[in-house]
Amino acid sequence: MNIIGPDKLIFGVDDVAACKQFALDYGLVTKDEQNYVSLDGTGIEILHKDDASLPAPLPSGSMLRKTIYGVADQATVEAIAAELSKDREVKTLADGSIEALDDLGFVLGFQVTIRQTLDLPAETINAPGAAPQRGVNLTGVSKDFTAKPRSLSHVVYFVPDIEKAEAFYSERLGFVTTDRFTGTGPFMRPAGTLDHHTLFFLKTPPFMQGVEHFTFHMSGPTEVSQAGYALVEKGYQSFWGPGRHIFGSNWFWYFKSPFGCNIEYDADMDLHDDSWEAREALPGADNSQVFLLQSREKWAPGGPPGKP
Amino acid sequence: MGKLWLGNVSDIADGQAKGFDPNHSGSDTFFIVRQGNELFAYVDICPHYNDTSLPWKRHHYLDSASDYIVCAAHGALFEINNGDCVQGPCKGQKLSKIPLEVSSQQEIWISLTTIKEFNL
Repeated sequence: MNIIGPDKLIFGVDDVAACKQFALDYGLVTKDEQNYVSLDGTGIEILHKDDASLPAPLPSGSMLRKTIYGVADQATVEAIAAELSKDREVKTLADGSIEALDDLGFVLGFQVTIRQTLDLPAETINAPGAAPQRGVNLTGVSKDFTAKPRSLSHVVYFVPDIEKAEAFYSERLGFVTTDRFTGTGPFMRPAGTLDHHTLFFLKTPPFMQGVEHFTFHMSGPTEVSQAGYALVEKGYQSFWGPGRHIFGSNWFWYFKSPFGCNIEYDADMDLHDDSWEAREALPGADNSQVFLLQSREKWAPGGPPGKP
Repeated sequence: MGKLWLGNVSDIADGQAKGFDPNHSGSDTFFIVRQGNELFAYVDICPHYNDTSLPWKRHHYLDSASDYIVCAAHGALFEINNGDCVQGPCKGQKLSKIPLEVSSQQEIWISLTTIKEFNL
């Protein structure tokens, strides 16, 4: 199944205005009244939790109501429909996409991807011994900054049965497990991307089933840090980070949000192909990150004026 | 016994909440919710991980209808009057309630003993 990755997450939220403002402050761009997108067109849709167009919520009350995957072509949409129709209802919606439940009850959609191909440089660095990534007289940073999330990266679900979840996404949709935390859950990527993961599971009791966080890829660690600091300056509260994960190697910074889950910035994720052998590690702080920093208000050494 | 003045009841609108940082740690350590003339105060730590604060922005502790206290990490909902978690990761657990004093002039006070006891 040539699934590329998540195209869109649809939320049914309590405080629509707060969520829309969060989306804008995070750096997404308004596409229409309820859709907020990153540079490649992937994004989130924000509706009120009682909106009649939304699929039913999970029993837990999670605000994530649907995960829409982008796939390579219409043939893939039809192949997924044929596969899932074997044991469940598959709806075809007016826009040509299909909708079905996974084995845990999450509502999934599949459509020919709306993800546009980006042609943008990554954040650049210069280091002794390596050819300069940034030419002479080009400066690396500026205080004049606007966060520009590039692409919907991954979503993380709380699930009561990780074996069942991994089996569904692996056997029915062709996802590959890249790494796993013992007893906690696998990191998975679909066949159409090399990203370390677009999906991760955390084992929880059934009453917690829902979304733990989602995130967009940024241009590099500086943008993760500068975007996160800009959120802090706007009054948003950090949950975890900035830091750098071990599995996936992605830089991270998570923020609490009015979406009923954390929202992350990430950057510089590892890429893997089918020759990669999944690693396994015990969950916990030491295996979750190589380092963890904590933001503080801008500060510099030196006393008041006249007292260097 | 010493106590610290936190403001007047009228400083918190009915159906709203306010965070406090008595030791100027840089983050609020407890919060007060006002319902009518009643005040409910809790330590600003979600029992899910017992190590993280609740709001996504300062003072944003309640849902839009002001029916529940919300933890913005994973959407846990807590009863305002007793701190019981009724939905979310810490269902069945509760927020740590802290005592306040409200004077006849509607001044809100917290004792220094409480601040020390709850590490506020």
